[in-house]
Amino acid sequence: MDDADEALALRARSGEREAFASLVRRHQDRVFGFLLRMLGNREDAMDLTQDAFLKAWNALPGWRPEARFTTWLFQIARNAALDLLRRRGSLQFVSLDDPPQQGDAQDPRDAGPLPEERLADRQRIDLLQRALAALPAGYREILLLRELENMSYTEIAATLGIQEGTVKSRLARARAAVLDNYRHHAGRSPDDLSA
Amino acid sequence: MTYPHELHPSDEQLSAYQDDELDAAAHRRLGAHLAACPRCTARIADFAALSADFALLPPESPGVDLAGVIEGRLTAAPGRPRTTPRAPGWYGLLPLGIGAAASLALGIALGVALPTGGAALHRPVALTVFDPFPPGSLCAGRDACYARGALSSGVMR
Repeated sequence: MDDADEALALRARSGEREAFASLVRRHQDRVFGFLLRMLGNREDAMDLTQDAFLKAWNALPGWRPEARFTTWLFQIARNAALDLLRRRGSLQFVSLDDPPQQGDAQDPRDAGPLPEERLADRQRIDLLQRALAALPAGYREILLLRELENMSYTEIAATLGIQEGTVKSRLARARAAVLDNYRHHAGRSPDDLSA
Repeated sequence: MTYPHELHPSDEQLSAYQDDELDAAAHRRLGAHLAACPRCTARIADFAALSADFALLPPESPGVDLAGVIEGRLTAAPGRPRTTPRAPGWYGLLPLGIGAAASLALGIALGVALPTGGAALHRPVALTVFDPFPPGSLCAGRDACYARGALSSGVMR
């Protein structure tokens, strides 16, 4: 466990708002990024990031130091995201043929002219973002937790409330789904992409 | 021990190998297989390329300090709900005991006061024997409770 997180969480649990504010500042970008990529909408991600931290504040008296704070926090954020997706009536899928909407996850092309050598990177990022948006939420969340949050299988299992064996199999299926998506929509094999 | 030539490790095993989440023996065994299997080596390369793509994703930020926003919402909201109720000790029963004692004392005081003070509030029973209305009955109207002329003289019947 991150000692600084643990110390801050213990102080926040006893009611110190300054300590909780520090926790918010340390983790707001990660939680926001996760929610943005889960939901595909910046406004929803912003609302849910705040809601997740408010829920965390209210639930902190029940937090135990045995649980890693970030794992616990992502569990709250992930549940909030799934609740919203359920309230929408169905899990949203973004058509791979639709251009990215304004206000969605930041498009690297917005950053202005890029060097020639980054063209390939831009194409790969675009392809990955579209593939992620097309994935079922269960695949998307497990990939984000592993690839962006660098969580171990144990931490992912704790965050998602599943067995480690399930993490192993679901993650493999999620990766295979993205690679299939690459193959289908790029019109070339992943071997070509990785070359 | 290695995989038989006709068998290949599953995506699940290759994915866990990529994440270094296999136990040491399984990791060694799969590594030995990869050294001799271009097909599985290519699959591992796909997984590695996918991880590299994730690393290219730009970092995201809400663009504001949410600590201040959340602090404001916490200030406006009622206090943090208690999730772990405090175990009641003897002091936890103190308000209940005080309330019970006060109720008991009030009851005794009223009981003592009623036969003396309370009697003075009512007319003697003997004077009400011939009243057309029994004690405690409601008047049907103003004239039913007061004799004619009594209202003007202020004398109550």
